[in-house]
Amino acid sequence: MRRLFAALAVVAFATAAQAHNLNVFAFVEDGTVVVETKFSTGKIPVSGEVRVLNAASEVVLTLPLQEDGTVRFPLDPDAASGGLTIEVMTGEGHDDYWILTPEDIANGSES
Amino acid sequence: MKKTFAATVALTALSGTTALAHYGMIIPNDPMISQEDGRSVQLEMSFSHPFELLGMELVEPVSFTVTHAGETTDLLGDLTAAQIMGQPGYTLDYPLERPGTYVFAMEPQPYWEPAEDSYIVHYTKTYVSAFDDDEGWDTELGLRTEIVPLSKPFGLWEGNVFQGTVMLEGEPVPYAEVEVEYYNEDGEASVPSELMITQTVKADANGVFTYAAPTDGWWGFAALNTAPETMAFEGEEKAVELGAVIWVEFEEWDD
Repeated sequence: MRRLFAALAVVAFATAAQAHNLNVFAFVEDGTVVVETKFSTGKIPVSGEVRVLNAASEVVLTLPLQEDGTVRFPLDPDAASGGLTIEVMTGEGHDDYWILTPEDIANGSES
Repeated sequence: MKKTFAATVALTALSGTTALAHYGMIIPNDPMISQEDGRSVQLEMSFSHPFELLGMELVEPVSFTVTHAGETTDLLGDLTAAQIMGQPGYTLDYPLERPGTYVFAMEPQPYWEPAEDSYIVHYTKTYVSAFDDDEGWDTELGLRTEIVPLSKPFGLWEGNVFQGTVMLEGEPVPYAEVEVEYYNEDGEASVPSELMITQTVKADANGVFTYAAPTDGWWGFAALNTAPETMAFEGEEKAVELGAVIWVEFEEWDD
């Protein structure tokens, strides 16, 4: 838990708009990356922008968030070889991210 | 706040008596697992006097489950035998596949306590949040007896209060007695009086109790009631103490 503080501090410094009230989660299922978002109140964001970054922090994909707070896209094994960072922005101060590690991707690809 | 454990040992030896409370224990490595922490939680299950760090044997429980998003899963077969506080207990490395609150619960075998001339059955649980999602933190499992949290049972600062409702057979227990004890994990805490090893608070008329933890670490809350039934010991019917135990970690305030 304490490691999270340090990680968040780094991200907050880098982006200056890091808030904690949006939660992002992602997983791989049948060759598709599924992104889910939720506010800490339990409400689902109805719009937002999703950016997918590769291990070199290059943006490889930008997508709009769907009205049900999710987005899906096909897994590109080459782009995802070092893992993916999925950033979701739903408005000022409502940003969060999920890191799909190579292990996450491999585990999802096996299921 | 934290003195030496040696003082406690000396105090206990001098008084010639002990003030030992039994606790079933489920202690995770962290009650708030973030994505940076990994994708699993490690748990230790034991039966002990947690302040004095006196372990007792935890025989294989009747049940061990996890409840997440309304679904309960049997994990009894996944437990690994281990030594905890020098006595047999169990560990579990449980994968967290989804965000949300995971509630781990254990029903132990009845424990015969000759000093109290009764059996003890402590239904024990703890709550673990995964990936910054606290949904489900107030889950009531429907155990025969349990403490239902009114305070979120993780993410509490030292000095915060913890509140819960004592439930027995699905009903709140007015004026229930709740024993509170610190898991003296590093052995550094001590007390000026035996009376302070296990503190006691009473619930109000609605079964709600409140306790403010004076320091960070794991705190066990045990609401004790007597079952209407008895159990036989060597041909004689004996009382059965039902305990509702919840373990809550308070975080250090670091400013």
